[in-house]
Parts: sequence; structure tokens; C-alpha cells
Amino acid sequence: MTAQRLLVVEDEVHLAEVIADNLELEGWSVDVVGDGLGALERVRSSPPDLILLDVMLPGMDGFSVCETLRGEGIQTPVLFLTAKSSRDDRVKGLALGGDDYLGKPFDLEELILRVRAILRRSEWIREDSPAGDRLVLGEAVVDFETFTVTIGEREVELSQKEVLILRCLAEQPGVVVSRAEMVDRVWGYDAFPTLRTVDNFIVRLRRLLEPDPRNPAYIHTVRGTGYRLTP
Amino acid sequence: MISKRLSPEEVIRRPLRLYAVIVAFYGLLLGWWVYFFASLDGRMMDRIAAKGVTLSPEAEQALHETSSEAMRMFLFEGGFLGLLVLVSVFLVMRGVQREIMLARQQRNFVSAVTHELRSPLSSARLYIDSILLRRTSPEKAERYLRHAREDLDRLGSMVEDILVTRRISDTGVELEKELVDLADSVSGDMERLSGMHSQVRLQLEAPEPVFAEADVTAFRQILDNLVSNAAKYGGEGTKVDIQVVADGRKARLSVRDEGPGLNGSDPEQLVEPFVRGGDEMVRTREGVGLGLYIVRELARAHGGDLKLEDGLAGGGTRASVTMPLASRSASQAAAGSSTGSSTGPNAGAGSDPGAAGDAA
Repeated sequence: MTAQRLLVVEDEVHLAEVIADNLELEGWSVDVVGDGLGALERVRSSPPDLILLDVMLPGMDGFSVCETLRGEGIQTPVLFLTAKSSRDDRVKGLALGGDDYLGKPFDLEELILRVRAILRRSEWIREDSPAGDRLVLGEAVVDFETFTVTIGEREVELSQKEVLILRCLAEQPGVVVSRAEMVDRVWGYDAFPTLRTVDNFIVRLRRLLEPDPRNPAYIHTVRGTGYRLTP
Repeated sequence: MISKRLSPEEVIRRPLRLYAVIVAFYGLLLGWWVYFFASLDGRMMDRIAAKGVTLSPEAEQALHETSSEAMRMFLFEGGFLGLLVLVSVFLVMRGVQREIMLARQQRNFVSAVTHELRSPLSSARLYIDSILLRRTSPEKAERYLRHAREDLDRLGSMVEDILVTRRISDTGVELEKELVDLADSVSGDMERLSGMHSQVRLQLEAPEPVFAEADVTAFRQILDNLVSNAAKYGGEGTKVDIQVVADGRKARLSVRDEGPGLNGSDPEQLVEPFVRGGDEMVRTREGVGLGLYIVRELARAHGGDLKLEDGLAGGGTRASVTMPLASRSASQAAAGSSTGSSTGPNAGAGSDPGAAGDAA
């Protein structure tokens, strides 16, 4: 297996050097770009497995880079590395499609652990699901590869998180999956979203997939615990 | 839930509201007094008439006089008090506005500056962590330590800039002036500066002694800041021209880079501390951005100023600091005493053969 490729986007030469050195020592292959626009170009031409993205960059800031990539449908995981680490900045970074957020100055071991966690998570996303690449719920057919659901003639696009939640349930049909487990697998160990967030996603999925969202036939609530899927 | 920090406007709003109530009450009171004194005469007469008393014209006259006296006194005192209230409103509003502006600047300053300190701190820490946590080869460890050291130097100079700015805004600039040959001073610093900025080529043009009453340390700080700026914006492998000349009755130090110019930024704005143009997240310059402000304040304390220009033939940005030349007699006396002991200021400039030819 070839080494996973990481892209470090950082304009401070020293910081970029020492981060890249350390990630390489962990066995990853690392590229460094010093500005926002350069990062966009690099990701478009050859998407890495993970982007470590500074927020304050020359040309275009890291938040805009992440937003632009997500807007173009590029789902490469993003770890923000930044000196701007107020609560508002963290929330903004994650809301724009970032996967994790690490404030400067950070700990070397923590950086490596977080990178590893994100890569593990994205590996699971890419892996072939034991549940197959399709999930049939009555008339609705969910395609885990193309992130779409087809209901009769109608085709609807799903977000990555929606697909992952469905996969999480479909891999263990008939078994109760706790909200905490879903948060862990879909969002990662840092558990940024509250458990309520999961409920909101379930409501959206039911509206889409259930013939009668008030009396769900497929996605069942198990009071106080989590959810259960019966295809 | 995290308690939200109030903005300066929100902090001041409550006492300001109370103040408005007090002023409004005072206004009403004045209004009431106006009514009271203006109608005093009429009410007095009505009451006397109601009691069935008829006054002699003389008595009536005396009462009218008394009441109009009271009215005059009121107009004077009440008017004076009213004026005082208006002045106080004006002063308070101005003070509040200034406070709000200062608080906002302070806040911008804190947010604009603190994260800049975090970057060198992060890399220094990561270099050291890497040595501590990994088996780094001695060569690599040495390189890491050298880089960490540079990061700490950078951090140190940022902190120094912040402290100097603080001091300038608190107490102003204090100088210990003496008669200095600026040309000599700059050429004496060339070696040190070239060592600090090995990525650019420094060229000095200082054809003759330029005497001024200056603080040596402050002048060196001016030179250092201008040269680091020029090296930073000029970029790798570019040339930085330093010129020290007497221009009319002024001494002028100018430092010119081969960078992209000011990119349409207002030179006046660039010099202001706390103020950063454009999008805060988009990084336009490294460092805390106080260097030019410090230069300008030091120049002004010398009776001079700082000027930034771009759009010059050949491109780049030129930063010039001017200050008054020392009087002719003082300069001559100083020049006379120095020629005996040294080869003069041209010795430094002469070490760069290209420089003398450029003199225009």
C-alpha cells in the first residue's frame, strides 16, 4: 500500500518544515504549499488524503479554501491548524466543512493523534461497506458510492454525513446503534456535534426515505439509546 | 454556557442611559422654573385681586419690579446652569466616544497581535518537541535548535515592538540626543545588517558626513526596522538601497526595496498601529505590524517624519525618514575632530564599489 498523502498549507516556513518533517517520520508522504490559492490548485490537480490547513494565509484565507473545496464537491478531510482558536473561529471552521480544529501552539503528539484519527475515519468512509454499496428501503434506493437516493423517478443527492449515518445503521441491521457510536464514527472522536445533531439528521433522513415520517417503517427510534434500521 | 463579553458600546450603554435621564430631568426642571418665574407676576396680581385688595399704582409698580428682578436673576442663573449642562453633555459625549474608540482599538490590537505571537511560539515548541520525542541525528537536532532560536528571536522582537508601542502611547518618546554623523552610524551598522538579512543585497550610498542631533539607539532602531521591512517585502535575492544624504536643511535616511510596492494601500494608514487594512483573515504581512509606527514616532520625536512612496521608476517602495540637520558650526566642529582620527564616513560606503557611482 502506498503511503497516504498529506498536504500542509502553511505560510510560516519554519512551522511548515517542522510539521512536514514530523508527519513524514510517521510514514506519511507530505507536500507543503504556502498560500491559499496554491493550495486550491494543488488539491484540484491531485487530491491528497488529508489537508492540514492554516487559517491566516496570503491570497485566500483557509476558511475560504475549505468552503471552496466543499462547494466543488471535494470531500478531502481538512484539519485546521491555526492561531485563531476562539470558540467562534472553531465553530466557523467546522461549519464550513472542516473535520477537526487544532489551535496554535499545539502539541506534537496531539497533532499526530488527530491526523491519524481523521485518516482512520476517512478510510472507513472509502472502504467497501459490509452492507454492500446499496441500501434498499421500500421504494427508495440509497447508493453509498454516488451519495444519491433514487425514489422511483426522482434522484436526490445526500450529504456525506447523511450517507455515513445510513451506512452506520445498515452495517448492523436490526441492531440498536447508539447516538454516541454514530457521532464517533461519522464525526470522529472529538465529538464536536451534540447527540441532538444526530436526531436532526435522522429527522431529515426519515422525511426523505420514509413513506410516513411520523410512523417510521425503516428507521426506528429506540427510546433513550439510539436508532435501529430494519430494511 | 460561556458568558458573552460585552462590546465597549454595551458596557457604556447603562451609565449613559442614566446620564440621559438625569439630563432630561434637569431640562424639565429648567422648563418648570421658566414657567414659574414667567407667570409669577400674573399669578401674584390674580391672587391679590382675588382677595379683594386694591393696590395703589405705586405698590403695584413695586411688586412688578420685584418680580421682574426675580425673573432677571433666574434668567442669569438658570441660563448659566443650562449652559453648564450643555457643556457637560458635550464633554461627556466626546469622552465616551473617545473611550469607545480606544477600547475598540485596544481590542483589535489584542486580536491582531496575539495570534501573530503564536506562530513563532508554535514552531519553536515543535522543533524542541521533535528533539525531545524523537531520535534526531545531532545535525538535525542542531538545525532544529537553530531554527527554534530564530523563532524565539522573532518572538522577542515582536514583544519588544509591542512594549515600545505601549511606552510611546503612554509616556511618549524619550531621547538622549547627541551630535551624530548619521552616514558614519549607518555604515558602521552595515556588516551587522548584512548578517541579519543575508537573503538580500544591501547597498549603501552615503557620500558625505550628515550631522544631526539624534539619539543613537533610536536611530539604530529606525534603520533596523526599515531594513527588515525592505528585506521582507523585497524578497529573496533582491537589492535594498540605503541612502543617507543631506537634503537642504534636512538629513534624510531612505531605504528602498524591490518589492511589489504598496498595492494601493494608503501610506498613512499603513503606518498607524492597531489598524490593518482588508480582510483580517487574509494575511498580508508577517509580524505584529508596529514597525513603521515605531519608526514614525521616533522620527517625529527628532523633529522629523516618515514618508512612504511607491510607483517610483524601477518599482519598489521607498521609506524615507527625515530629521533636521545639525547647525553648520556644530557639524564643522565635529567633522574637524573626527577627520584626524578616522578616514571618515566614506570608509563604509567605499566598501561597496557600486554605491558611489549611483550617487545622483
